[in-house]
Amino acid sequence: MHHAFKLGDAEHNLELSRSADGYRLHLADRTLPIDLKTGADGRAWLTLDGEHHEVVIATRGDDVFVHFDGEAYQLRYEHPLKRLAAAGLGSAEDRVLAPMPGSIVSVSVKAGDAVTKGQILLVMESMKMETTIAAPRDGVIEAVTYDKGQTFDRDALLLSLVAIEKKK
Amino acid sequence: MKRIESKINTSSAEFQSNAAHNRKLVEEFREKQRKVRDERPQRDIDRLRSQNKLLVRERLKLLLDPGTPFLEFSSLAANDAYDGEVPGAACVTGIGIVSGREVVINAGDASVKGGAWYPLTVKKTVRALDIAIENRLPVVHLCDSAGGFLPLQADLFADKYMAGRIFRNQCQLSKMGVQQVSVVLGHCTAGGAYVPGLSDYNVIVRGTGAIFLAGPPLVKAATGEDVTVDELGGCDMHTSVSGTADYPAGSEEEAIAIARDIVAQFKRPQKTHIEWQEPEAPFYDPAELYGVIPKDIKQQFDIREVIARLVDGSRFHEYQPNYGKTLICGYAHLWGYKIGILGNNGVLFNDSSLKGAHFIELCNQNRTPILFLQNITGFMVGREYERRGITKDGAKMIMAVSCSEVPKFTVMCNGSFGAGNYGMSGRAFDSRFLFSWPQSQISVMGAEQAANTLADVKIRQLAKSGKKLSQTDIDAIRDPVLGEFKRKQSAYWSTSEIWDDGILDPVDTRNALGIALSAALNTPISDPRYGIFRM
Amino acid sequence: MSDPRQWPFHTVLVANRGEIAVRVLRTVRKLGLKGAVVYHAADRGTLAVKMADHAIEITGPTPVASYLDGAQIIAAAKSCGAGAIHPGYGFLSENKGFCQAVEAAGIRFIGPTPEQIDLMGDKVRARNYVQKAGFPVAPSAIEDDDPKTFVERSRKVGAPLLIKPSAGGGGKGMRIVRDLSLLEQEIERGRSEGQRYFGDGRLYCERYIENPRHIEVQVLGDGQGSVVHVFERECSVQRRFQKIVEETPSPALDDKKRKEICETAAGIARAIGYRNAGTVEFIFGPSGEFYFLEMNTRLQVEHPVTEEITGIDLVHEQLRVAAGEKLGYGQNDVKSQGHAIEFRIYAEDAARGYTPTTGPVLVLHPPQGDGVRWDSGIVQGGEVTSAFDPMIAKLIIRGTDRKDAIAKADQALRETVLLGCKTNTAFLRRLIHHPAFVAGDVHTGFLDANPQIAAEPDMPAQTLHALLGAAALSTRPMRDVADAVPDMHAAIGSWRN
Repeated sequence: MHHAFKLGDAEHNLELSRSADGYRLHLADRTLPIDLKTGADGRAWLTLDGEHHEVVIATRGDDVFVHFDGEAYQLRYEHPLKRLAAAGLGSAEDRVLAPMPGSIVSVSVKAGDAVTKGQILLVMESMKMETTIAAPRDGVIEAVTYDKGQTFDRDALLLSLVAIEKKK
Repeated sequence: MKRIESKINTSSAEFQSNAAHNRKLVEEFREKQRKVRDERPQRDIDRLRSQNKLLVRERLKLLLDPGTPFLEFSSLAANDAYDGEVPGAACVTGIGIVSGREVVINAGDASVKGGAWYPLTVKKTVRALDIAIENRLPVVHLCDSAGGFLPLQADLFADKYMAGRIFRNQCQLSKMGVQQVSVVLGHCTAGGAYVPGLSDYNVIVRGTGAIFLAGPPLVKAATGEDVTVDELGGCDMHTSVSGTADYPAGSEEEAIAIARDIVAQFKRPQKTHIEWQEPEAPFYDPAELYGVIPKDIKQQFDIREVIARLVDGSRFHEYQPNYGKTLICGYAHLWGYKIGILGNNGVLFNDSSLKGAHFIELCNQNRTPILFLQNITGFMVGREYERRGITKDGAKMIMAVSCSEVPKFTVMCNGSFGAGNYGMSGRAFDSRFLFSWPQSQISVMGAEQAANTLADVKIRQLAKSGKKLSQTDIDAIRDPVLGEFKRKQSAYWSTSEIWDDGILDPVDTRNALGIALSAALNTPISDPRYGIFRM
Repeated sequence: MSDPRQWPFHTVLVANRGEIAVRVLRTVRKLGLKGAVVYHAADRGTLAVKMADHAIEITGPTPVASYLDGAQIIAAAKSCGAGAIHPGYGFLSENKGFCQAVEAAGIRFIGPTPEQIDLMGDKVRARNYVQKAGFPVAPSAIEDDDPKTFVERSRKVGAPLLIKPSAGGGGKGMRIVRDLSLLEQEIERGRSEGQRYFGDGRLYCERYIENPRHIEVQVLGDGQGSVVHVFERECSVQRRFQKIVEETPSPALDDKKRKEICETAAGIARAIGYRNAGTVEFIFGPSGEFYFLEMNTRLQVEHPVTEEITGIDLVHEQLRVAAGEKLGYGQNDVKSQGHAIEFRIYAEDAARGYTPTTGPVLVLHPPQGDGVRWDSGIVQGGEVTSAFDPMIAKLIIRGTDRKDAIAKADQALRETVLLGCKTNTAFLRRLIHHPAFVAGDVHTGFLDANPQIAAEPDMPAQTLHALLGAAALSTRPMRDVADAVPDMHAAIGSWRN
């Protein structure tokens, strides 16, 4: 299965196909008939396995926001080429993302520095609380995105790492 | 267009007994397919796994659009050859949907002899590329082959339709503007190197994929140079230095995803317009075909009962219902596409031959593809029929079939004997696709007539030298001939030799023909033009 | 009550943003006055800016800083001829200097006198004042008053007690003492922690209330001798010391206790001759004891629940007394009916420790219906940024009784559609279904003691499938591939021969 959505921390693989009278959702363990009829202002009617649900859907970039059964959810589409390329080159741990919006209190490394797993890379502040960001694995700092005092949103790329071997 | 009224009593003992018999035949066929597709020595699977390789069926699953059909060609190719050790002729070919486009897939099966090319591997690959050429279908090559099987090199290398034809066909496709993409998932050595080399696009997997004219051992032997696989023809060298390969990939999954994205860039062809209407399922259940086909090949049955279980709404416009009644001709829709159908209801006489020739001309005149449903013992023989010109009337039908410009499709429903095979568009007559049902048989004549004829010749020779044969002697001459004949007239022999594009479970025929028809319409239909019809 | 057209001001400038700016402007407009608002560029396009008759851009090194820049705001008020400034809550609402500067500029400050702000702004002074006036404050001991007797005075406070560093905050260095024999030892530890965290070892201690409730009382004073209370609000459901659900009446009070606490509050306000709407906050113990905590001399975030059960427009009352009117009614004229609950809609992820979230407001469908009030400053097409507090709206529900209000709230929270930025609506629904909340049996530590409410429950398979399906059908790279398949092949499906 090429396609994937991230929902929370979990990645779900899936495929979509068209049938004679709608679509099919292909999951690891089952295939379900599905269809979506869109109305105004994001409102839509989802038919899943014969049941009808009113949903509200909005998209921005790769993010899909769905209001379903009284709750809002966010899913992030992972394009197969991007996801598989990342899998081939290393893990997501190469990229240190902001766990929440905030600002940089201090940065203790610079590009080119070799770091070991657990080493403190920077300190950020959010909601008047300081959070330290540590190296997810051994590696070499490829780039540091923000300087002291700069602010960022959640999931902003704070630092990127490359493998020590690759750098040599 | 009215519905065919079936005369079959589905609760009759005969129907039930036919159905049981034919279902058993289909089960045997499915079991053979299962073995070919899934049964491999564990060590071969372990070897591929240790190389981080996927099995060919796993690759196909990644390549094809989900929830779409795959019409596999000649799944039992080479099954009766090489002591059965080269299942499927070590490759998988077929028509599938990739990024919404109909494509031919040509995939090496490295779990069989490392994907080595046997003579029938070459034949199957050439046939797949012929299909691509005839139907202007883009090709995705999944390359993973050890190269030609050297002990049989004389049978696969040099002749017109041998390995060179693969590359020749690739060039023809390119010349026609039909695109190809290769995914290099293993080593492409020597001739194999030209498959990606002659493709418009190719993708290569880092670590496992390699392209070179000669591998490191041969290089060492030839020039004394020591070189690793990666240095010689690996992913990074070819994509960044030589330009032989286009896209590097970190894994097979990524390579296939890239290939899918490449296919998504292909311009979708304008299909040839033929009559079409909204498809409709057959009124009669196609599964009843099992009870329609008699157990005994010699027993006649009404081909309209087959037509009724293939076409939309079981509706059929019959042409000349009262003339030449041993050949049923008429129009129907299949998956919405308008087709002309010729089906046998007995031996071809003068009138049925003329009717057939005329109907083929009609179909060409109005751009209607033709489906031949073969159940034919041949053209009628004998003094009376020769006097009426059965040969020249048969020649008219063969001329019409040969020169047909509309796409032709042939299904070997039962018997296919003698010149009837030709008149009903046998393999030599360039049907775009030809499929066989499991119990069907092909030979120049019936097995028993053939055995008797051969025995008679022998008896007459011996009689000339004054020898007289006992019945036991006669049987000793006749029986091996009969055995060999029966073996080679079976659908399994035909399909092993790639005289067809595969055996079909009869209930799959409708879908197979739908996919084939859709594919055929990528090529424009020319104006009809014929040679001389002997009048 | 006189015609607002007779008031000494005709234009009111709101020195605030977001939902409260909208809230104030709504009453200002209703009264036939002109509304003005200041805004930072980050708030351009928000509802308040669209609603206002005058919107004046202000600048600053950060968005927040611009709303704290009194001089710019006063200049803005002058530029649009505003005769009064409403500070809302937060920002400059309890800033004595701003209040003075406003009045020095000849503009009415819609709030108390600078002296009242000053008194109540200093927690220690306020506490001493209230205590001296004869109202209940929690027993305490301040080391600085007389370091030699600190231990003895602390012992008199009684167990359990809380030791806090004088210089501290945020819970650091705080120690609870339940056994007075350990008092000296704990004081020493507290001192060394204070030294370590704040470089200052001075301490104070106060009575520790186990599982306290937060109950506050709305008061109104005209500064001309009249003060009434407008009943209590219970704000015990808190996270990170911030209120998230407020309601009135408090389920913790019977009529007698209600009268007692409300009259205490009114008495405190009366003692200082209070002008403006204000809130007296109390800490309320399990056995019914309550102590003065502090007084907020401004409009409270949670004021709408009081409005809903009394029908009083508190902003209107603020404007009236600021215009010099008398209250004109007495305590017996203030009546309440039904039950109201306010939910603060936060852009935050409850399951990740209530961390704030940001994002665009792609779709906003506020809930509707009888008894449903939506106070918000955001609009569809807007953006929730990290520049300000993550509270984006308030959902106020009025019911015939508490049970009815909770049921209506569940429905309204279900119907609240905000896509683009995660909010706490699902968390709020889990909260109001918790048996303790249903029973009204909560305290300020309730959420900390029940972290499972914040955690996201396991998702039913059907929900997951629906989300994946809806997302797949809304994602072009997926839908395009599916749609590209020719009709017949799509109909045949995953057939194999």
